[in-house]
Amino acid sequence: MTRALLVIAGLGLLVALLAALYRQWRRATALQAQLEAAAAELQQLQQACARLAPAGVVQRLIADRTDTGAERKVVTALFSDLVGYTAMSERLEPAVLARVLNGYFQRMSDAIHEHRGHVSTFVGDGILAYFGALQPNPWQCNDAVRAALAMRAAIRDYNEELAKEGLPPLAVGIGIHRGPGLAGLVGSRERMEYAFVGPTVNLAARVQTLTRVHKVDILVTEALREHLDPRFVLTPMPAEFVKGIEEPVVTYAVRE
Amino acid sequence: MPANALEHVAWEPCLLEARRDEELESYARKKLGVPHPTIRYYVDVPWLARALVDLHPEFGLLVHLDLQLGDLIQLVVSQENTCRYCYAAVRASLRIQGMSEARIRSVEGNLARADLTPREAAAIAFARAQSRSGPPAAAGARQALLDAGVSASEMKEIAFVAAMTDFMNRASTIPAISPYAFERAPDTLRVRLLRPWIARALRAGRRRGKATPLDGVPSYPYAGLVKAFDGSPIAPVLAKTLAEMWASPGLSRRCKLLMFAVIARGLGCGTCASEAARALQEEAVPPALLTNVLTHLDAPELDPVERVLVPFARETLWYEPAPLQRRARGVRDRLAGTQFLEAIGVVSLANGLCRLGATVAEHP
Repeated sequence: MTRALLVIAGLGLLVALLAALYRQWRRATALQAQLEAAAAELQQLQQACARLAPAGVVQRLIADRTDTGAERKVVTALFSDLVGYTAMSERLEPAVLARVLNGYFQRMSDAIHEHRGHVSTFVGDGILAYFGALQPNPWQCNDAVRAALAMRAAIRDYNEELAKEGLPPLAVGIGIHRGPGLAGLVGSRERMEYAFVGPTVNLAARVQTLTRVHKVDILVTEALREHLDPRFVLTPMPAEFVKGIEEPVVTYAVRE
Repeated sequence: MPANALEHVAWEPCLLEARRDEELESYARKKLGVPHPTIRYYVDVPWLARALVDLHPEFGLLVHLDLQLGDLIQLVVSQENTCRYCYAAVRASLRIQGMSEARIRSVEGNLARADLTPREAAAIAFARAQSRSGPPAAAGARQALLDAGVSASEMKEIAFVAAMTDFMNRASTIPAISPYAFERAPDTLRVRLLRPWIARALRAGRRRGKATPLDGVPSYPYAGLVKAFDGSPIAPVLAKTLAEMWASPGLSRRCKLLMFAVIARGLGCGTCASEAARALQEEAVPPALLTNVLTHLDAPELDPVERVLVPFARETLWYEPAPLQRRARGVRDRLAGTQFLEAIGVVSLANGLCRLGATVAEHP
């Protein structure tokens, strides 16, 4: 009797032990699956980040969170802005305005991306894009001007769509400049972005404002023109003073 | 969770038609121990089909580098190049040979460095940098590799494995060779049942190389790379590939050199750029024409084929697969006969060699 009880107790203990082991195995398997899922997600995130900053910078940031990947580079900056946005924003319903704006941003981003540019940020209704920032690109000036011409064509097509809906047409002003600056991760602890900092960006933005003065849609600077394919048809514009620059700025309108 | 990290990558329908060639297939089986499915797409350009077989590093070309580390380098470089085809193929090979899914994921994600020795981690970082950022950016990673105690000979082999993976990635990505069979393979019943035999066949072909003297010094363009590997089994194989590539009649030598020159310039490899310039001068190409091509990727003196292929060459430097494949489709439709196949081979090889050139020729 005692022996039978001992056997039953032993079997009970064995079953309890096996059940505990099974529970641990299930838990370990679930944890392993979660870990693998997290690893896969992180890996995809890492690949997605490579579209926002050079892959080397992403890698360095992962290895050392204080590494900003800062380096001096020569980059071409393209700044575009919607002409007459304020007047349009007062006329259209918010939902319609948002739809029109999103359509505009998508088409402009596609044109920039198609020509190997990188949209850095949307500033209100403006777009700041870089060429040659994420990867070395000796053909960055031609790419930037081709992107601007593609943006012009995309706006023309978009306006035809808008007209069918009885919506007002859009117009853009685009300024392009090439020059050196500091590329790297900048921002606060809470929010960082891969950016290109320096007078090159400021001048591209200022040149964009000159499109209103000269009543053209695409303007490039002298520094950019020097590296441009001579087959682009350019028209010299009168030199103009812009904010923050001592000398008058010589620009060229891009015809085709 | 996706079965692998590249399954979400957009991939166009294949641009080429596969065709069987008994002679080439038996050549691949003899060299590798297993069939090589990619060569069916390139039977009309034999040098390229043979190069895809011959330049596989783990089949007798590595003397110093651990073969498994070579596999891992191929995996991460294929991942960097977003080559779904090669990535799935290497992954399937690793799984069949017994590497666990967890270890593969840890290497891919670069998350579990503790799992890798410092030398392995440095080798993988260098290979990534060479493929991803080109020669100038790889200089830091190269120094880290030397600091980790890797010998110059081993470093050259690491650079070679990464470069040949760059070559094979492009030869598979540009024509959008379907990756789906390889992606499914490790989990299919047939492969799971036959796994021990497939693994044995794979292992039988894999072998370490032996020191091999180079017979004579070649004189064709980029022979400097061959000389840099003198004494290694890599040298004669590279010499044969280059000789056959330059001699192949699908495209003119001038057109091939212009594509090499564009890729060298895009990657910032000074050695490879001056090699291309010198060879183009021998082809009676005026320096002004080369300057025009390198500055604007076009020139009035180019012939119609060159005008298509020069700008296409730069598309292959850094790319996303689907847009590159769509552009390649446009290029295919404007070329005749074997020109498109040969162009894929030339740009793919140029991408590998110009990345390799900066490491082995500029830092012998």
